[in-house]
Amino acid sequence: MATRSNRTGTALGPPQDPAAPKTPAPDRKRPEGTPGTTARTRQPRLWTWLLLPGTLWMTGFLVASLLLVATLALGTTDPLGNPRFGLNFANLTALADPAYSTVLLRSLGYALITCLISLAVAYPVAYAIALRGGRFKNLLIAAIVVPFFANYLVRMYGWSVVLSDDGPLLRALRAIGLADGDTKILQTGVGVVAGLVYGFVVFMIIPLYAAMERMDTSLIEAGRDLYGGPLRTFLFVTVPATRQGAAAGCVLVFLPAMGDFVSAQLMGGPDQIMIGNLIQDKFFQGQNWPLGSALTMLLMAVLFLGMLGYLRRTRKDEAEAAR
Amino acid sequence: MSTDTDTDTDTGTGSGTGTATDDTGTRTRTGAPRRRRRGAERRPRFAIAVTALFFALLYLPVGVVVLFSFNSQKSLTVLDGVSLRWYEALLHDEVLLDSLGMSLRVSLVAMAGSLVLGVALALGLVRSRSRLGSFAGLIMLVPLITPEIVTGVAAMLLFKGLGITLSTTTVMLAEITFSISYVTVILRSRIAALNPEVEEAAMDLGATRGQALRLVTLPALLPSILASAVLIFALVFDDFVLAYFTTGVDPQPLSVRIYSAIRFGVQPTINAVGTLMLVGSIGLIVLALAIPRLFGRKGGLDLLSGK
Repeated sequence: MATRSNRTGTALGPPQDPAAPKTPAPDRKRPEGTPGTTARTRQPRLWTWLLLPGTLWMTGFLVASLLLVATLALGTTDPLGNPRFGLNFANLTALADPAYSTVLLRSLGYALITCLISLAVAYPVAYAIALRGGRFKNLLIAAIVVPFFANYLVRMYGWSVVLSDDGPLLRALRAIGLADGDTKILQTGVGVVAGLVYGFVVFMIIPLYAAMERMDTSLIEAGRDLYGGPLRTFLFVTVPATRQGAAAGCVLVFLPAMGDFVSAQLMGGPDQIMIGNLIQDKFFQGQNWPLGSALTMLLMAVLFLGMLGYLRRTRKDEAEAAR
Repeated sequence: MSTDTDTDTDTGTGSGTGTATDDTGTRTRTGAPRRRRRGAERRPRFAIAVTALFFALLYLPVGVVVLFSFNSQKSLTVLDGVSLRWYEALLHDEVLLDSLGMSLRVSLVAMAGSLVLGVALALGLVRSRSRLGSFAGLIMLVPLITPEIVTGVAAMLLFKGLGITLSTTTVMLAEITFSISYVTVILRSRIAALNPEVEEAAMDLGATRGQALRLVTLPALLPSILASAVLIFALVFDDFVLAYFTTGVDPQPLSVRIYSAIRFGVQPTINAVGTLMLVGSIGLIVLALAIPRLFGRKGGLDLLSGK
């Protein structure tokens, strides 16, 4: 996929003046009053008007609803179980209860392990396709992306059939002696993590693949010329050169893995529930919306901290890469 | 990657570097540090093996669903002959058919709504220099970095807080909100790539601003708009979490119906529904990827570039 070649692929022709250097990208930094006033300077108000409906819609539905969750996290329930707005911190202190903190820690652990396994899977896959895919590169990547767009539940359901006690995977493992009759994958934490990896590993492969595509392959050759073995070259050349892609992939896997509740439900037992299952329970079975809101805010807070760490790390990388 | 084709395709004889060898090791050039070079230039067998295993595991679950949808027995472990009985059962399942109809309606409405709002927003984001633009650019990112369960809970609370009964309409509203971001992200780079001076030329020739937009800019964006329309349709049709939190009791979206079915034991009709959904969404994605090519243009959806 031509990552950066969009500009040349547009319908609206080449730059007008062949003598002049390439027309600068039409971005907002373009100085006003350059010869040939740009379209936007004639009636800039139109563009602002176009912003309005979408912005209002998003503010009304998205921002307002998220604020509502934050507010209700401080609310209470009346004796009938109806949510009441208020200003108390009972829900927040309740989160310290071991019943909830265990689940939070388990979710964190599962999401982190999912990230690590996804990395371990995605590195070889992205490497093999980006550097050895030849002319089948795009086809192979499409073959990975396309099933990912198939219905999440159907994929998870199929995966749970594959992992089931009589399923093809365990039967194959038993046949080669890697498992015995008692080995289980479903109803265990392994099953949950397997589900999460299956659900989200694509989010790791794509940015990693993009990073490998952009990587200067002569670096690898240089590593080899300096007598680095395959492993050393990989660890000291390929990994550092693609760490931005890996970091982006980790964020993209961690976010949905942390909030998922389908995998824990289909692949795990009652002992494997994650924070998503708790939230679901508080809103549907438990009918305690304020507590559910508090759990949602807790999830948001964890992810926000993760994002912050990611941004802080990548900002330096980007500054280096920029020029 | 063009510099690398010799070693990539395994057909090259190692011209250029003079050290290339393939995995069989038969075409080794004589050279002093031969053993080290051989080790380093070998095809990455480990990576290729992992990739093969990955593809097998990626398609196994999908294959199982498709295979067992044609099973004549109810079992999910024993194949017992080919039959279409589960597809036939599907045709008589009023509840599932209602869900299918609802999902189709929701997808169509969400597609139309998010396109109208999203195209306008993308144009404004690229070209407006007002402060509203930076605000819009920020909130547009929120759905992309928020787990769906959070947006789902939030949407549900908003509707309940406003006293709106959950129904097909609430699912539509929630899905539109969610989809606007996707439309905007896809179109933003395409709009930025357009040459605004062509619009300007149209205006020099007497077109009004609106005419230039309608007659020049939008046609140029048409392939991208169509591709994102197909993509949004597929995403909304398959969406589960948001639909789960915002749907009413009856009818429920197809994916919500599937969810409640697979929680309570095996139902072979789910294999049949699942197979049809797989075929449908894969067909749509392929279509979305192909549309820009149908218009004879390169580029198109940057689904695969990782951004």
